[in-house]
Amino acid sequence: MTTTTYATRTAAGALAALLLLAGCSSKAKDDDSGKQAAGGIKTGEGISGKTITLGALTDMTGVYATLGKSVTQAQQLYVKQLNAAGGVCGYQVALTVRDHGYDPQKAVSGYTELEPKVLGFAQFIGSPFVAAVKQRVDGGDKGLVLPQAWSASLLGSPYIRVIGSTYDIETINAVDFLIQEKGIKKGDKIGHVYFEGDYGESALAGSKHMAKEAGLTVVEQKIKPTDNDMTAQVAALKQAGVKAIVLSAGPRQAASLVGVAAAGGFDVPVIGNNSAFAPQLLATQAGPALMKNYYVASPSLPIGADTPEAKKLVADYRAAYPKDALDNGIVAGWTAASAFGEALKKACKNKDLTREGVDRALLTINDFDLGFGPVQDFTDPKSASSRESVILQPDKSVTGGMRVVREAAASDAAKTYSP
Amino acid sequence: MSEALARPLKVLGTRTYLWTAATVLLLVLPFYLDRFWLQAGLFAMAAALGAIGINLLTGATGQLSMGHAFFLAVGAYGYCVFAADGPGGLTGLGLPTWLAAVLAVLVAGIAGGLFSPISGRLSGAYLGIATLALVFIGQHVMFNAHDLTGGANGRDVPPLNLFGLTFDDRELLVAAVPFGSAEKLWYAGLLALVAGALFARGVLRGRPGRAMNAIRDHRIAAGVIGVPVARYRAAVFVLSSMYAGLAGVLLALVFQRTVPDYFGITLSLEYLAMIVIGGLGSVSGAVAGAVFVSLLPQLLTRYSDALPLVSAPGTGGIAPGEASRYLYGAAVVLVVLFLPGGLARVTARRRTRTLTEER
Amino acid sequence: MSTFAEILLNGVSLGSVYALIALGFVVIFRATEVVNFAHASLLLAGGYVTASLHDDLGFWPALLVGIAGAALVGAAVEFLVMRRYRGSDHSVLAIVTIGVDILLTTDLTRRIGTDVLTLGDPWGDAVLTLGPISLAHTRIAAFVAAALLITAFLLVFRYTSWGVAMRAAAESAETAALMGVRLGRVSLGAWAVAGGLAAVAALFLTVFPTPGLERATSLAALKAFPAAILGGLDSTTGALVGGLLVGVTESLATGYQSDLTFLGRGLGDLAPYLVMIAILLVRPAGLFGTKELARV
Repeated sequence: MTTTTYATRTAAGALAALLLLAGCSSKAKDDDSGKQAAGGIKTGEGISGKTITLGALTDMTGVYATLGKSVTQAQQLYVKQLNAAGGVCGYQVALTVRDHGYDPQKAVSGYTELEPKVLGFAQFIGSPFVAAVKQRVDGGDKGLVLPQAWSASLLGSPYIRVIGSTYDIETINAVDFLIQEKGIKKGDKIGHVYFEGDYGESALAGSKHMAKEAGLTVVEQKIKPTDNDMTAQVAALKQAGVKAIVLSAGPRQAASLVGVAAAGGFDVPVIGNNSAFAPQLLATQAGPALMKNYYVASPSLPIGADTPEAKKLVADYRAAYPKDALDNGIVAGWTAASAFGEALKKACKNKDLTREGVDRALLTINDFDLGFGPVQDFTDPKSASSRESVILQPDKSVTGGMRVVREAAASDAAKTYSP
Repeated sequence: MSEALARPLKVLGTRTYLWTAATVLLLVLPFYLDRFWLQAGLFAMAAALGAIGINLLTGATGQLSMGHAFFLAVGAYGYCVFAADGPGGLTGLGLPTWLAAVLAVLVAGIAGGLFSPISGRLSGAYLGIATLALVFIGQHVMFNAHDLTGGANGRDVPPLNLFGLTFDDRELLVAAVPFGSAEKLWYAGLLALVAGALFARGVLRGRPGRAMNAIRDHRIAAGVIGVPVARYRAAVFVLSSMYAGLAGVLLALVFQRTVPDYFGITLSLEYLAMIVIGGLGSVSGAVAGAVFVSLLPQLLTRYSDALPLVSAPGTGGIAPGEASRYLYGAAVVLVVLFLPGGLARVTARRRTRTLTEER
Repeated sequence: MSTFAEILLNGVSLGSVYALIALGFVVIFRATEVVNFAHASLLLAGGYVTASLHDDLGFWPALLVGIAGAALVGAAVEFLVMRRYRGSDHSVLAIVTIGVDILLTTDLTRRIGTDVLTLGDPWGDAVLTLGPISLAHTRIAAFVAAALLITAFLLVFRYTSWGVAMRAAAESAETAALMGVRLGRVSLGAWAVAGGLAAVAALFLTVFPTPGLERATSLAALKAFPAAILGGLDSTTGALVGGLLVGVTESLATGYQSDLTFLGRGLGDLAPYLVMIAILLVRPAGLFGTKELARV
């Protein structure tokens, strides 16, 4: 027993000593807010020496590996080119990438690890995870976060900025395309196959809104990301007598759904959201059917678009990553990185490279145009930066496997829509 | 053992010093570590609580459960429902947060009890896969019961409030070190873990523990020698669920938001891996395994630039996420084959220098 | 009525794929009383070998090599891991297979990367149309293959010495060993056969109507768990019936989704588990499983 009391006393003593020492901890608060660097530029977190560090929380080993790889490599390419051209304000830009493998614990840990070191996040895949750190971003961190998720529920924060049209608006434009070009009219039924979760439900809100506007009926089919065989869904939709199908799921589901419908002689147009296609599919059995009946609504022109900017990106990307597929994830990553770069340049002009400075700088950009279709307007955090969608069709002969069938446009319903 | 008995004072002395040092170290860590490491530590503490629970069930009583993630979810969401005061139209009872935490743990226990018609009938692989159903049912509810769970994007977790101290991000200066939520929760988590570990140790070392081991080793024989098998099995299932519930509450508080994606099969499997790696049937094993499994990916990701073979994402080579999966897959296999008894046994062996086969 | 018939037929055809996977669980469980959670990775291994060879070898030889390859992987797992375990707790062995699964799956998904691999099967996307109902050729092939293989296994278990040895081993390993049954060989054989079956299942899991083999393919094996359990983990007939039951349930829950909205949409994945729970409440060893005999 004496040992125990002795131990307790030792412990108490040691604790007291250490508590005193804690005062000398490196964590102890000191005033260092608002450093003034040379040239009168205000800097803060994420800048040390002559380097601006940006974060990227991606998924390269989980369910969104295909998207994550393209987005990340495109962003690394952008950063390389930006630095080669002299960087921003004389600062070099570095991109720190953390792969969370679509695991919430790793995603939140990645944010916690990088947050003190970076100016903001050029990439954050997984809208549930963005939602998980939203309180912290809005509450005190205030770093700019550009999520690679086009969910309407992420709108509203001045720091978390979705680039391009959100899924609901995109779906409205997709249904508008079916009405304008594919002969869907008042009284018709359309099917909507969608993923459980934020993406699918956001898209469903769009199709329901459009159905109400145009007098259509939506036949819902909710699926899980692990469902790869769409036979039962097609059978149900066929029986319901739908005239067209909207698909808010992944590439595999698109291949299965379009393939099954075509093979069964169920010849209706199918249109998917931008996440529902991958060029790898064109080499599979579903390839021909996809090229015939499938369309994709996208917030930007495809990677294989006929613009000088797109051609340059394709050439540069091919040179940097000769083995990897060209898909629209590259455009998404490139656009986000460029938007961040643009905000940095503007913040540099304002001589304020703090987090707030960059956030404010982005809020003043209303005509961001990279040559990939829709012009982005970032002045209103409550609304998507664009309400336009481009309608694409799979085509094996084109780079990236997609060609444009309808140029960037916002339907009337999309213009007036508010979630 | 004889060697240890010969010099009891010396052994006790070194052990006490070790424990004291460890305690002091754990108590002062929040003053030095940054939020990332504290959060990683908190994840490990929550995992340790959950692992203790499943070790009581699977390790000590021999009931394979793959549904642990479900009970974690019950705890996490239960806390939110009890504690929140209904922001954004979500159900919330607005109870004091400490009460909400207690109730959430109880509800997890009740959920475990409700499953007893199944868990009482089945054992072995059948029970394992039947509990897997819970994970699917749980995720379905989490995604669809929007009012209760907030759907796919989850719901905010109200910060814990104890004796007027709120465990949120408002900075509190302690000895010139700013205390945010991670620093404050560290102590709450430590307290919960110590209490949970001591209680479980009491259960395992006492009469119930021997009865549980008897059930694991031979159910019928245990019944014959007078162990009320059915009652014990149901009780352990409830107790294990309550540990999971407590782990869920702690996790929710650390995450500050509950999302359904987290509570999937992978999580259930991770808990099984933890107890196998750490050592089946012991509290220290559960803690060791939990620390190993939850810190490994964090370490590899954090130091991916400095490690050989592991490379940062996007540069080719093995990504840190993959490397940690390789390592912990291999750890499960190797520990079972070459280290029966797990990590906990290694330290125990060093201490007593004799290894008595328990089974 | 034709809707119901179509949904039912779809369910049966999907169910035959699950039955093939479930059969893999059954073979190993019969021989060793271990649930093999690594089955998903064996599936991926077989599919991957077939997919990467069909261009050079043609489909049938590639499939054979794929079956042999997966059988080899299965045998290797048994020889290198399962055999080395000296304890007697089957739950621990089950957890070991989880470890093996993590290792193999991580490695295979790394190889597959972001690709979608086709297996070059001869059926393509052809469908058989019977009035209003259409049925993919691949699924008919799956049904035939499942029926043939399951019949074959019924016969093998009953009449060959390996089958008898396996039954003896399952009855009581000790007695069987004393009677001269080489337990190692029985279990090695079971793992190899399960690997081969996994390769066949992988084929039907990745051909039309699914786009091809990719990293998430192994998740489909999860759906075969309720199939194996509700049929009875040690019953070949159970694997078939369980597989069909799960396929039909899933298909019905999806097809009549609109009538089941009160349970929340997207019930397809969940329904098999609910059916499984219901059956286990009445028959704890599954529909065709042997009740556990107690020997004190």
